[in-house]
Amino acid sequence: MLKRSFNRLFLVGEILALLGIMTGCTMIKGPLYPDTIYNNRQPLISVTYEYGEIEVRLPLNYIGAIPDNIMFEVYAQGDTINPIISILQEAPRVFLVYLPQGVLDIHEKANLIRIIPQDSNFQPVDVRFQGIRFGQIQLPPKSIGMKQLIVSGKVFLNKNGNTLAGVDVSFQNFDNVIKEIRTNESGNFQLAIPGEYRYAKHLRLVSGNNLIFKSFKKMMDFSESFRQIVNIGVGPSSTMEEPLYVTNRDNVHFRKHPDIGSETLFLLERGEAISVKRVTPGEYQGSIEVSLGHDKNVNLDGWIYRSDVILLDVNNIFKNEPTNDSTL
Amino acid sequence: MIRHYKKFLAIMFFSLGLNAQVKLTVNTIPKKVNVKLDGVILGESPIINERISPGIHKFEIIKKGFAPLNYELVVNPAQAVHLDFFMNPIYSVKFKTEETGLVFEINDEHQWSEDFIRLNLEAGDHSLRVFKLGEIIDEQIIHVDEPKKFIYYLKKPISEE
Repeated sequence: MLKRSFNRLFLVGEILALLGIMTGCTMIKGPLYPDTIYNNRQPLISVTYEYGEIEVRLPLNYIGAIPDNIMFEVYAQGDTINPIISILQEAPRVFLVYLPQGVLDIHEKANLIRIIPQDSNFQPVDVRFQGIRFGQIQLPPKSIGMKQLIVSGKVFLNKNGNTLAGVDVSFQNFDNVIKEIRTNESGNFQLAIPGEYRYAKHLRLVSGNNLIFKSFKKMMDFSESFRQIVNIGVGPSSTMEEPLYVTNRDNVHFRKHPDIGSETLFLLERGEAISVKRVTPGEYQGSIEVSLGHDKNVNLDGWIYRSDVILLDVNNIFKNEPTNDSTL
Repeated sequence: MIRHYKKFLAIMFFSLGLNAQVKLTVNTIPKKVNVKLDGVILGESPIINERISPGIHKFEIIKKGFAPLNYELVVNPAQAVHLDFFMNPIYSVKFKTEETGLVFEINDEHQWSEDFIRLNLEAGDHSLRVFKLGEIIDEQIIHVDEPKKFIYYLKKPISEE
């Protein structure tokens, strides 16, 4: 009994001693303020942006001549007045430009590269493209050519002034056909060829190859202008009186007199018109029209074999188209 | 159901691909800190090769023993954004005085009257104000840059033990 009471007393003593030690420690360490005290100092934060570049590559093809220098102007976001960059450089094979991120419209083709060759013979070219945020843009190749040489006009029959549809019109350099078209239903035509022929010395406009008349030929000079209007009259003029015949082959002798050995005034090519006045069993006597240039013509009289001409039918002036059919 | 689930995933990835354009890197000092972006845990720092969309975002950086850091950032449409957060440590500081009848106040907010107390203070400067009988009798700036013990004497610069 005494031992148990002693044990209890000892236990209480131990607890009190422990409490005393704890309290003592707390007294030594002091009480802890319940909240953490901040001074609301601005945090030290570093923000670094990394902006990408936009590399735009535009391959260029030069058709014929190459301009010495080209001005490249890059426009963005639909603004075609203030370029974001202008670069003057020797004509490159690939135009390369680096742009900062974010300058291009990435939703639509509202960005533009204007290529301005520093040569009046060349035409400025615009290249529209859609941008990206950053990275490389590879644009399809663009062709840079000289300004086109353009001839337009109409083809009409000299006899009555009626326009003619379906008549061949071509540009030829020497005898090489550069471009050939036919007049439309209204008899009008427009023919364009590359600008590098601007200074060609033997450039000519030829029309009427598919007519029974001799072809219209005119030397063309584009040194003053890139665009010309030429109205082409074909066939005999209204001053030539009926009946009219046309030569049916080349190198037809048009002679001064009907007798054998008479002087040949002209060697006529196929399609030359003759206004016949007199008829003999073997020959016609009539006049042909000779051009003096500057739209002036004179009529010259002479003789021609009947076998070298055919009667002109104004309603049937087109040559028969050759067919691919072959007969044995 | 599976088809719908795939469709949903496709739309989700597509929209993520459209929006998450900017590469995100987050470094912190100290390392291995929980980083939350717009309330979603990104993971422990350093964070690399994450994606973030341009616009306003909120970062929360939390680590025991350091002042929590909340930072709102308008992310520009860039190729990448690198963020470095330098967390401010919290030091355990003992404050003792032998003066009597004084009330101390730190940063206009935290008050005590004990002559010996332990405080958890964010590193940096704190303003200390001393009151006696309701009147301000002293004002000082205490600078905390390590665990230390301050001893206050009336109208004398606070001293470190």
